[in-house]
Amino acid sequence: MTGPALEVLDGGLLTTVQDAGRPDWTHLGVPASGAADPWSLAVANLLVGNDPGRAALEMTLVGPTLVVRGAITVGLAGADLGARIRDGRRLAPGRSHRLGAGDFVEIPGDSRSLPSTGARAYLAVPGGVDVPLVLGSRSTCLAGGFGGLDGRALRLGDGIWPALAAAAGSAPVGAVRPELVWPEADGADRFDAVVTPATLRVVVGPAPGLDALGTIDWRVGTAANRVGIRLDGEPLPDGIGGETTTHGVPWGAIQVPPDGRPIILGADHQTTGGYRVVAVVISADLAVLGQLRPGASLRLVAVDRPAALRALRARRDALSAGAAALRDAAGWDALIDSAGG
Amino acid sequence: MPDRGPSGSPPSGSPSIEPVGDAGLLISLGSTTDPDVAAWAQAIAAAIDTARAATPAIGRPVPAHASVLVPFDPLAIELEDAIDFARQAVVAAEAGSSVAGAGAGADDGPVIEIPVRYGGPDGPDLDAVAGLHGLRPDEVVDLHASARYHVLFLGFGPGFGYLGGLPAALVTPRRASPRERVPAGSVGIAGEHTAVYPLAMPGGWQLIGRTDRVLFDPDRPDPALLRPGATVRFVPLRDE
Repeated sequence: MTGPALEVLDGGLLTTVQDAGRPDWTHLGVPASGAADPWSLAVANLLVGNDPGRAALEMTLVGPTLVVRGAITVGLAGADLGARIRDGRRLAPGRSHRLGAGDFVEIPGDSRSLPSTGARAYLAVPGGVDVPLVLGSRSTCLAGGFGGLDGRALRLGDGIWPALAAAAGSAPVGAVRPELVWPEADGADRFDAVVTPATLRVVVGPAPGLDALGTIDWRVGTAANRVGIRLDGEPLPDGIGGETTTHGVPWGAIQVPPDGRPIILGADHQTTGGYRVVAVVISADLAVLGQLRPGASLRLVAVDRPAALRALRARRDALSAGAAALRDAAGWDALIDSAGG
Repeated sequence: MPDRGPSGSPPSGSPSIEPVGDAGLLISLGSTTDPDVAAWAQAIAAAIDTARAATPAIGRPVPAHASVLVPFDPLAIELEDAIDFARQAVVAAEAGSSVAGAGAGADDGPVIEIPVRYGGPDGPDLDAVAGLHGLRPDEVVDLHASARYHVLFLGFGPGFGYLGGLPAALVTPRRASPRERVPAGSVGIAGEHTAVYPLAMPGGWQLIGRTDRVLFDPDRPDPALLRPGATVRFVPLRDE
């Protein structure tokens, strides 16, 4: 058995294996998990020819340091966390990169630490990261300590095996073969469209209070992780927040505890909650939610249901169009390869 | 009262069904924590699970005290059709419960026994709970261990079951400030419920004991030891 394609020298702040999630065990209290920014997970995967929901590395603010043990192509997407080859080229998000054996990959985080930079980047490998399926998913469940790499974040000494190691690692690569680049256009199909968020669109209810929520300039608090983010700002007026009979809550639910300071539920959120839900982030903007850094300023803007669905359809269409363009580009590369160069 | 099982029969009045976000519905059966209503929510969730095999746009329902959250893909099914789907599941659950008859379920299954070391470092809040109620710690243990509990639903964390049937004399508010880390297996009380923490996690329940039984293991065919409707009994372990 050969070694891993990538070996971890430093795990970074919080690097976990995430895929499209584990939505079918919520009735047992198991959080759905999955990529906090599913759009960028999909882009990273498509850049290496994977289905959009394959398992990839999710990196948070400060990424890992990796050493390449076997040549491999990786896809990078999401926030620009400064990825580069040590003493060498920059690895930009929104494209695939060919890494050679012996390369050191450093992902030190955004040196400017601007709140407007996104929080999470994704690194995909051919076929997806090869870890066991647990309850139907390869996602790391940090609360339960299972999934991904033993249910925890990456650390020194871990190995990353791609599911298509042999094929991808040994395939001949034409010297002139271009890396695949996410086909940027305008609007929602830019690979980094979610990386400079200032606005989350929300739909109302079920509890009242959305009007007040929309008038306040919010800032993402330091209590921000995969479970949820606390919003700092002028607390909502009395009577909006409060407890309620514990009920199931969706990803993106905006809960308001009695203190009037909202919490937006993230990808690892608990399946049930006992605070009033005054609004829910629209499905199309969950990717934006996953890119919010502590300190980022944030407006919550109410939209109606048709607008929410138009936005979701635009995102799915953009992903399909991007996937098709990448397939065409990959087909052209294969032609070049088979023609000998 | 504690030995009466929830019946799962529908309460009077039809449930409200409202959107939660652009991709979910909440079927609401009121604001009660009545075990009969929790069993009714489980029955509706089971009906949804059966029916969604033919409607893949509907996701896994999440039942709780008096509600069922129903996720759906809003680009694959219209809101009105999702509401109709939920309504039909409610009707199917009503029909199913009248066939099964009142009282079916909870009391027929085996009792899940959970051995507990009460007090000491395993139950750091036992003395405080006793003090609040003017009881001796051993009286709290006797009361807690003499009751039969029913699993109302699972939520909060993997395998975490809300147990109904706590003796009224033990109803206790949560701790004023939650602990950052509650050890796995801790047995706690909050309000009118008791529960076992399956995994180490933050939490605000009053901790009166601890068990070595594994409440959640993703590698087991049934990952969660507790299943809604089951009966639970706590068995005190005495120091020899």
